[in-house]
Order: sequence, then structure tokens, then C-alpha cells
Amino acid sequence: MARLQIEGLCKGWDFPVIDRLDLTVEEGEFFIVVGPSGIGKTTLLRLIAGLESADAGRITIGGQDITTLPPYKRPVAMTFESYALYPHLSVFENIASPLRARRLDKAAIRKAVTDVAKLLRIETLLDRRPGEISGGQKQRTALGRTLVAEPQVFLLDEPISHLDAKIRHELRLQFHSLEELRRVATLYVTHDYAEALSLGDRIGVMGHGGLVQIGTARDVFMRPRSLFVAQHLGQPAINAVAARLTGEGAALQAHAGNTSFGFPVVAAHAAVLARGDCGQVTVGIRPQHVRVLHNGEDAPGHHVIDAHVEIYEALGANGVLVADAGGVNLTALTSLERDFAHRQPVRLALQTDSVFYFHADSGDNLLL
Amino acid sequence: MSEQTARLIRTLLLIFLGLWLILTLFPLYWQFITAFKSAAETNRTIPSFWPEVWHFENLVSVFAEPTNFSALVDSFIIATGNTIASLVLGSLAGYAFARFPRQAGGENLAFWILSNRMFPPVAVLVPMFFLFDAMPWGTDSYLSLIILYLVFNMPLATWLMMVFFRDAPRELEEAAYLDGYTPLRAFVKVTLPLVLPGMISVAMLCWIFAWNEYLFANLFVGTQVRTFTIVIPTFTHGSQTLWNLQMAFSMIAMLPPVALFILLRRYMVRGLSLGVVKG
Repeated sequence: MARLQIEGLCKGWDFPVIDRLDLTVEEGEFFIVVGPSGIGKTTLLRLIAGLESADAGRITIGGQDITTLPPYKRPVAMTFESYALYPHLSVFENIASPLRARRLDKAAIRKAVTDVAKLLRIETLLDRRPGEISGGQKQRTALGRTLVAEPQVFLLDEPISHLDAKIRHELRLQFHSLEELRRVATLYVTHDYAEALSLGDRIGVMGHGGLVQIGTARDVFMRPRSLFVAQHLGQPAINAVAARLTGEGAALQAHAGNTSFGFPVVAAHAAVLARGDCGQVTVGIRPQHVRVLHNGEDAPGHHVIDAHVEIYEALGANGVLVADAGGVNLTALTSLERDFAHRQPVRLALQTDSVFYFHADSGDNLLL
Repeated sequence: MSEQTARLIRTLLLIFLGLWLILTLFPLYWQFITAFKSAAETNRTIPSFWPEVWHFENLVSVFAEPTNFSALVDSFIIATGNTIASLVLGSLAGYAFARFPRQAGGENLAFWILSNRMFPPVAVLVPMFFLFDAMPWGTDSYLSLIILYLVFNMPLATWLMMVFFRDAPRELEEAAYLDGYTPLRAFVKVTLPLVLPGMISVAMLCWIFAWNEYLFANLFVGTQVRTFTIVIPTFTHGSQTLWNLQMAFSMIAMLPPVALFILLRRYMVRGLSLGVVKG
């Protein structure tokens, strides 16, 4: 049973990067760490790989404490964001590298490398050098080098973020179907929320110092613990509006100061919000919960507000509309058939039962 | 720019290059023809620009003194020995400065090593002689010059290797650690091949310096060990200089570095441009 367990991990230079981080990744689990650039995701992987030494805390794999082991003695394999392929060696030798380190015999190495290459569909490239293959093929080669090592823990650092959209999608599907990755504990780091939601058994959102929220993709997306989490998952980003809650009970209203933007809080939310002292809040509305109404269309169960179009972008599958709703800029997702002109008046329907309320200072989700 | 001006600039450039070539190649040409002249012909007031009779036997007669050939061998041993020592020490130091700058003593120590090249060598000529004389290997030995030339070549090797190691991505070494290689094996498998072109150009620079050195060799060695650089002046006698033999001998001495350069020129150019072009 090779589960990866991290307890109280600390690492910092002039400032703390990882502060008392706890995490358990089960055998066979695909765990995704998602977070903005420069937050310490790669540092976490490097700590597990042994490329950085922890200031405090314990890392165990399958019960064995590896906190102070050098990287070449740890049962982990890692892909680097830059792929880190050896430029002077062929694709074959790159993949064979971990086996050469163990001094396996030639026939065994040849068989293992060709098997992995077939699996990743790069068997025709084995004689080429890394400089002679495309980005996607480099990534497959790097992946092959980690797969062939048969480690107990896989560490994948932004494996597909530098590839173009088509290959990214293809490789994402491949990650879904690679049995080898599904047998051991895998830690996958990305800044792309779509990758995280698509691939992870569980995801962890990384903020300053550590993991802010851990859960299934659906859980984290639907029930973000804080504004930071909500802002990080979703494209376009969630609308965050500083607002004041006024009124009592069923008449509770959210109102953005100095503007005419406001809407009634639904009863279910009002019941929760009334318990806390939360006059000043940040209201979070996902763009897919703001609908642009057609002329004369009704939206029962929604709060309808008048607005003007500020910016409209047609993005292929859908459109993104930014509208001025009484002094507050709201982003909405629209269908493609429609087109909008600057300053054109529109009516927006807010799905008020899907709105989040966050604490104005701490950013905590007040509905949880 | 009109076509006429462009052509004018091109012509001027070609003339300049032609003059430059004459200036740089003339000594070689002079060496070549003098090497095959008779002693009488070399001493004419009005020089001849092509030998009247080709005296190919000059190439043989320079070795009439049997120690003259062994001087070439001695120079080779000293130059090669010093190059190997400079490369080993310079690579280790350069690697340390590139990868662990703080632990290795930082910029100051690296600069101090380089500063050893900055004083005029002749200023320490005499102290060095006495210092080496007191050492177990003495002055008149291979080891004395091999060690002495480290003063000049090791700083060069250290600094150039430091630059080459900095350019070799650290991530590749880290990838090798994760593949299961110990630091030493990772160095040999990954880093060394990456800096090899640079290393070869450093070796060339060190070797040529040690091969050409005259000042210290003239003072230090001469009995047990003789380098070719101190043999060349021996063709000058009290009343007469055998220019033809001197030129014949220096032409022979020129061959090893030229051959080395031709053999390794591919690496040399790649090595010297390694630090220049990023990415």
C-alpha cells in the first residue's frame, strides 16, 4: 500500500512558501494541485521529489519516511514543466534513462522502452533527438521516462500547459486512460482550472502557504470555501461585487454602495446569512448565472436588472458580455447567435439562488 | 543607399581585408620560405622572397642536436599535463561556483582566482624561482612547469567552465537524480556531455598557452627538461644566427597546435559561442 502522506510540511526562503501543509494521496488516486503562478505548487513537488529539503514536517510513502532521503533513493518519478529531456540523447535513451540507472540488461530495457513508447504512440520517434520532435512529443517522451520507472508516486508539473489547445485536449484524454497513472498515487500540478476539474479524483486549491481547499472537483467548484477559490476556478472569472446586506428576514437585500445595483437575497440564503454579523459582504456571481434576456422575455425565479453593454467578445463556443448594471460591471455568458453593440441596453437575469456571499475581509464563504 | 555607394563600400572592405590578410599572413610566409633557404641566402642585405634552392634538408638538420627533438616531446608533456590539471581543477571549481555559489565562497573568491591572471608575471619571476627551488620537485622538472602554468591556466579554465556550467540547465541534473542517478553519475551522464564542447575549447586555450610559454621556461628548466621555446634561441651563436634552422624548427613546432585546432575546430567554435546565444 503506497500512499503518499505529508504532515506539517514547511518550506520557506526569505518568506514562508509552504506553511504546515498536510495532505494524503491514496494509492491509485489522481490528485490535482491547482493555484495561481508562483504560489509554491512546484516547490511542493520538489519537496516530495527531494530536490528541496523541507524546513519541517514529514513526508512518507507507503509508511516509509523519506523526508531526508536524497532524490535518487526516493520511489518517485517527476516530469518537469520544461520537460528536462537530455538534449544529447535520443528519445529511446531518454526514456531508458531510469532503467540504465538501475543497470538493467539490454533486452529488458529495449522491451520496457518500446512498450511505453507504443502506449504513448511515439514508437516511431525513438531514434530522434529531443530537438527534432514537437512539444507534444517531448511531453510524451518526458511522460514515458517517468512511466518506465514504475515509481510509487508520480509527480507531474504542469505537464500540458505549454502545448497548443488541440494537443492539450488530446493529452488530457490520454491522462484519463493511462492505467499506469491510475494504479499509483499521482500528484498533478496545474494552474489551469479546466485541467483540474477534468482530471482530478480530488483537487486541492493552493493559496498562500498551503492548500486552501481540498475536495472533489464538483464539490470545490460548487461550494468554494473562499473568494480566492471561487475566483480561481472558472473562466471567465466569477463576478465579485462589494455589497451591503440591508433589511431583515425575507426582505434581505444585497446592495452595492454608491450604485443602483442590488437584488433580493433568496430565503434559503437569508436564513443562513442572518445568523452571522455580515453587513458588508462580497457577492460572487458566476458568469453562467447571469443570463442576457431576449426582448420581452420573462425570467421567473430570477432577478432582472437593466444594463448597458460595455464589451462583447465572441469566443467560438459562446460569447462573453461585460455590461454596466447600474454602476457595477457584470460579466455574462451568452449564446453565439446574438450580437451586441457598445452601449446597447440589455436586460440581465440573475440566478440569485446560485449567488455566493463571502466575508468582506477574510473572503470566507458565509453560506458554508 | 544607392547601388554605387554599396559597391564602393564593398570594394573598400575587400581592399581592407586584403591588406589585413597580407599583414597577418606575411610572417608565416616569411617563416616558410626562410626555413628552406641556405644560411648564406638568409643573410643577404637584399632579401630574396623565394628560395633560390630549396634546402629541404634544413628540416632534418635541426635535429642534429638529438635533444632538440626531445624538447618538442618535453613541451608536449608539459602542455598536456598542465591542460589536464587545469581542466580537472577548473571544472571542479567552475562547477562549484556555478551550482553552489554561496557555499563555494561566492563572487569574491571567484574574482580572486581570476585576479591571479592580472599581475605582470615577470614581477614574480624571481620569487617564484626560489619558491619552486625549495619544493621537492625543484625547478628543472616537468612538474615544476606543469604546476607553475596552473597560475595562468586554472583561473581561465575556472571562469570559462563556470559560464558553461551555468548555461547547462540544472533541471537536467535534477531529472537525472529522479531517474535514480547519484550526483556523480548524473554529472557524468548529463552535465559533462553538455559542457564538452566548451571544455574542448578551454583545453585548446590552455594547451596553446603552455606550449608557447617562454619566459618562465627559460628561467626554470634547461638541463633535465627543455621546452622547444628555449631551444629556438640556441640557433643563435655568438657571431651568427642560423635563421633558416630557427625558422625550420619553429615551423615544426607550429604543426601540433595547428593540427589540434583543425581537428577540434568544430567544437572550438561551438564552445566559444555557447555562452553567447541563449535559449
